[in-house]
Amino acid sequence: MYGYVGKIARIDLTDGTVTEVPTSKYVPENIGGRGVCNRIFWDESRPGVGAFDPESILIYMTGPTTGTGIPTGGRSVFTGISPNSFPEQYAWSGIGGMVGAELKFAGWDGFIITGRAEKRTYVCIEDGRIELRDASELWGLLVHPCQRKLEELHGEGVQSMVIGPAGENLMRNASITTSNDNVAAKSGFGAVFGSKNLKAIAIRGTGDVRPHDIEKLFELRLKMGNPYMRPSPLRREMTHGMDGNEIPVEGGWLRGQVACSHGCNQHCNRLMVDMKSAFGDGRINQVEKCVGIFAYGFQEDCSWTPIQNYETERNHFLACKMLSREEPAPDKDDPHFEALFTPVRGDITNYWKPDFDKGSVMMDMCNEYGIDKWDVIVWFMTWLSMAKKEGLLDDIDFGMEVDVESEEFVKYFLDMITYRRGKYGPIFAEGMARAVRALGKEKYGDTIYRGRYSQMTGERIDVPVSLETAWGQSYHWQGRGFEATINKPGWIATSLELMNSTRDAQTVAHHHEKYENYLEYKDDPCHSPLLVESIALDENKAEIKDSVTCCDWQSPDLYWPEMEAEMYTAATGIPMTAELLDEAAERSRLLFRAILIRDFGRDRAMEVNAIFPTMLYPDPLGQTVEWDEWNDLVDIYYERRGYAAATGWPTRATYEQYRLGDVADALERIGKTPE
Amino acid sequence: MTQTREYGRRVQQTPPDYSLCAGCNSCEVICCLVHGGAVSPSRRRLTVRRDIRTMMHTVYSCQHCADHPCYDKCPKKGTAMKLTPDGVAYIDESECIGCGLCHKACVFDPPRINYVKSAPKETRRARKCDMCFERPEGPACVQWCPVRCLFVE
Ligand code: SF4
Ligand code: SF4
Repeated sequence: MYGYVGKIARIDLTDGTVTEVPTSKYVPENIGGRGVCNRIFWDESRPGVGAFDPESILIYMTGPTTGTGIPTGGRSVFTGISPNSFPEQYAWSGIGGMVGAELKFAGWDGFIITGRAEKRTYVCIEDGRIELRDASELWGLLVHPCQRKLEELHGEGVQSMVIGPAGENLMRNASITTSNDNVAAKSGFGAVFGSKNLKAIAIRGTGDVRPHDIEKLFELRLKMGNPYMRPSPLRREMTHGMDGNEIPVEGGWLRGQVACSHGCNQHCNRLMVDMKSAFGDGRINQVEKCVGIFAYGFQEDCSWTPIQNYETERNHFLACKMLSREEPAPDKDDPHFEALFTPVRGDITNYWKPDFDKGSVMMDMCNEYGIDKWDVIVWFMTWLSMAKKEGLLDDIDFGMEVDVESEEFVKYFLDMITYRRGKYGPIFAEGMARAVRALGKEKYGDTIYRGRYSQMTGERIDVPVSLETAWGQSYHWQGRGFEATINKPGWIATSLELMNSTRDAQTVAHHHEKYENYLEYKDDPCHSPLLVESIALDENKAEIKDSVTCCDWQSPDLYWPEMEAEMYTAATGIPMTAELLDEAAERSRLLFRAILIRDFGRDRAMEVNAIFPTMLYPDPLGQTVEWDEWNDLVDIYYERRGYAAATGWPTRATYEQYRLGDVADALERIGKTPE
Repeated sequence: MTQTREYGRRVQQTPPDYSLCAGCNSCEVICCLVHGGAVSPSRRRLTVRRDIRTMMHTVYSCQHCADHPCYDKCPKKGTAMKLTPDGVAYIDESECIGCGLCHKACVFDPPRINYVKSAPKETRRARKCDMCFERPEGPACVQWCPVRCLFVE
């Protein structure tokens, strides 16, 4: 077998048994990664299971490219019931690091975790042998000390996935962490580990992963990384931050660039050397990706440059090159050059002033406690800032004066919620969506913050104090909240992607569109089949990325649509085309939707009502969307996908088109096909 | 390790102020691929030692000692462990019996010969850097390191 290594482990934490499932039961039909997870979850879960129930299944899968050296194949994915989705729903969470490759070297393409261990446990995988071990020595440890302890126990080079105290204490946005501070964070699966008494998974493998076509693999390494990287020295930077958040750093700070995952040809993660730690006097290194930079200062929202979403044949490049600041020089002769490269400044937010040390401490606490940075930076802290300024916290006693400018307060607050201390710790450990409802959403969630201003119009922007969008997530490239400065056709697309999902979809489906298409619909995006086509493309590519696997920062390349298919064939030797991969993506999405329909009550009313109110707040140009406009767009989208307009449920013909007649049968039995 | 030991041409890591290792492990992968088509921690001939806390990584490869103690200890020297005309000691896998004596004889810590003791006897082999002497382009790891932090000295 090329690419795949042939088996998936089923690990039952309740009775301690491990059984083997042949990978061939699911592939090539479901490709790998998320596509396989969706099939397994459909087959094995049932309605009525909560994220923290022993019956809650957590699935981890690599892709056929993982461990082969095909660039970005080191990415892998978890799926399961997300405690951080509101309400709890089936979701996924991608993770990089070396762990996926190591698992394959051990001879496993993935694992399915079921049950709940009676005692604190970790899983030890050493090649074919999988054992449950006593984790009493590990329980309570912060993330890095836990990783170190596993190295002590299993020798240097052991790869691991661990949770910190946040996961142990069932904080709903707890992450699972692996090397280079890579996390599966967004879905809160760290808390699912905690609920299963599972602290860590340690992996050591010595076996082979065999790609089919090595010559092609080398060709891909050249072409995908194009232009090839240059030497990348550790540099001293004298300032930190971007846009209005930039500050001088006394004496400077050392920046390097590191890769996130095994065999990658890029290095998008920013390594920050000798930073202030939240624990003791020592200095630490940490990595920063996109959202982390706002921990250090958030007076102004992220700016937006149209080239981030809209591309032409003459001007398009890998997103990872932006993070490592290695973008090729733009082609200025492109007639769209001006339009594509003119940046738009983000809103003045007035959340907190730049503070290099405080930002580092906030990041370190997220890393060590194992909390989703996104929720902390974009949601907890912005809420504290806005709610305080609006006088909403006058009658709340956290035990310390609320002051997001203060390092001590940030430490105090994150400590309080991680360990569920006092009256408010347990409330905020449930995540912001649930916390504002426990406190009273009208006052604590919906009160308008009066300190945010558009730099496009100079006008005040009315955003609520809680930056909540659908499914208990915070806004992300949606025209409001964080990364708000994207234009209406852009946020219409990202909002529809979120509507169809159960969590922030932008981490794996950053919106990409050909500029020539955008020009066609920019004045009336809600009535454009062309826009819907680009949404479907981005959604399908997201599915493909998490299945093949490859990275959101290199895929899709709109001008190289066969890229992922070429990666797949190079890994497996199985002929593949962009069309066939797209078909597999449709199948994977249908399974995802079928799970939501069967287990979580998903229908049109549920999803439209979840997303629509979040778009009634104005974007930086003061724009919103009308109810009818939005529903017109949903109609076009449902038709494109083969869903019934009234319910949003796929028709039998749609399931059958993608060889999912068995799924249609099951849904029909419970009255959940439109016919 | 003595101070007076002499070394041949070898793969070295640049200091981080020239180029910082990105920790991508591509060098290990490429090394495996050009020597037999499968990627495996057992098959690499150089090792990236990852520091999980500092995230600064160190690449260890054979230093090609001029007096090659590994070669001397091989019970099948000349057949399993061989020397190129330039004096590069390399292992002919088809002849290697997997005894691990060369690994033991390496003067470095960590030993620069990859020898996975736990591997099944039938597939257990010692593996070491051969400077890619059969590749006209030279060392593949140096050629393919994305950030060019490897060089031949
Ligand atoms: S290929 Fe280069 S950057 Fe990557 S781990 Fe090896 S030496 Fe480091
Ligand atoms: S020079 Fe060749 S054999 Fe030696 S470590 Fe590099 S790739 Fe491997």
